[in-house]
Amino acid sequence: MLRTPFRFLTTALLAGMMLNAPAHAAKTYQVATDAAYAPFESLNEKKEAVGFDMDIMKAVAAKAGLQIKFVNTPWEGIFASLNNGDRDIVISAVTITPERKQSMDFSEPYFEAKQLIAVGQSSKATKLADLKGKKIGVQTGTTGDEVAQKLLGKTSPNIKRFESTPLAIQELQSGGVDAVIADNGVVVNYVSNNAKAKLKTIDDATFAKEYYGIVVKKGNKALLEQINKGLAAIKADGTYDKIYKQYFGK
Amino acid sequence: MDFNQFWQHVQQAVPLLDNFQLQMVWEYRELFIDGIQMTLGITLIAVVLGTLIGLFAGMARLADVKHGPWKYPVRFLLRWPATAYVTFFRGTPLFVQILLTHFAVMPLLVHPDHGLILSGELASTLRQDYGAFLSGLVALTLNAGAYITEIFRAGIQSIAKGQFEAARSLGMTYGQTMRFIIVPQAFRRMLPPLGNEAIMLLKDSSLVSAIGLGELAYAARTVAGAYSRYWEPYLTISFIYLIMTLVLAAGVNHLEKRYQQSGGIH
Repeated sequence: MLRTPFRFLTTALLAGMMLNAPAHAAKTYQVATDAAYAPFESLNEKKEAVGFDMDIMKAVAAKAGLQIKFVNTPWEGIFASLNNGDRDIVISAVTITPERKQSMDFSEPYFEAKQLIAVGQSSKATKLADLKGKKIGVQTGTTGDEVAQKLLGKTSPNIKRFESTPLAIQELQSGGVDAVIADNGVVVNYVSNNAKAKLKTIDDATFAKEYYGIVVKKGNKALLEQINKGLAAIKADGTYDKIYKQYFGK
Repeated sequence: MDFNQFWQHVQQAVPLLDNFQLQMVWEYRELFIDGIQMTLGITLIAVVLGTLIGLFAGMARLADVKHGPWKYPVRFLLRWPATAYVTFFRGTPLFVQILLTHFAVMPLLVHPDHGLILSGELASTLRQDYGAFLSGLVALTLNAGAYITEIFRAGIQSIAKGQFEAARSLGMTYGQTMRFIIVPQAFRRMLPPLGNEAIMLLKDSSLVSAIGLGELAYAARTVAGAYSRYWEPYLTISFIYLIMTLVLAAGVNHLEKRYQQSGGIH
């Protein structure tokens, strides 16, 4: 059931969409991605979303026989876009969390991620606990934001939230925060692309492993099944490994 | 009775609110309260400083010497810089100005390692504790200043030329004429557009959340980010903004009435 205060409105909208459904037999699924998260997703010069997630999604769609179209969607409203019917699928380095599972459905995991702390090279911090009382930059609403809230308190003024992880790291570089907590893939990518930035990363052993999943609207079992089937197929035939190697080596 | 119980009672009483989870806003209430203070504070300071900028830049934009040695200095050092300033800040989006100030200009000027104005320990603490506030304030002030410059220019130009000539023929200097005759009269006419600018600025200050300054929109963004729910946080701040702008409008109204009593003809 939809969980909005104006249930009747959404129901009316959905009913309208169902009436329209037979009109286009081969539906093109709109895939939302926040393309500011290299190497998982970014925009190339032709304004196409490219990256690890895009290649995985394309391979999955090919196996599952889905027609897809990537649409760059800001992170903040990305999950709402599923519920209001603007998008059908989200692939955007989304960590599978119990809280998120309550309001959306996840595919099988397709990537193992971890949080990573980025600090200046002269920083003495060696673990998460060292950041207590320090200023921490995060991307709003990400797992890094949750980690920072757990460490410093939900409403701590020492957490500074930005619209993207690169912006948060930019703030670290110009001295506005002491550290940034974000997903490892993005942090490593930034640090390796900005050798002059004089940053180093800290891997805290207490960070739990996280898994990225492909998201569909809560209850959209049919689509989820197709995605999972495609995912299993590309893992089985080596396509996944090939894409993984292309982006992360090893 | 704590807030959650209170809200449950409200929800039972009003079925439409069944799914309106105001508890999440309550959970982050400190962020909202700090946000209100920050929004009001940064708007107030930006309006006051912007008005000062507007007063001087507005007169600079009108400064003109027809003959004599001051003709070119006045043109190049006063009129043109003021015009260029207004053109830039009125012709580019505030959002871009905020990002530009915070991520490009400020790091150039104030940086722990290589700031042009300030570097070292002081720069570091300044950036960490007040960085976003300073950048946001500078961007908002300069933006407001550009619009207020035009308000001042229009206000001064609306005063009949005879007023100026009469004051000068009484022996007043240019400065005295401006201070005692022109600007006070112009200010009364400028009040409505100034009030309008203050209201615009109060709302536009929400853009500063992009650089991580904890104002009102930032609080809503945080809640939306944590819960992926949008009605509760954004409706909440909508009401708060609405209340603040209504109070502001009432204040400006009151001022207008007072100025009209003291010699207005309307």
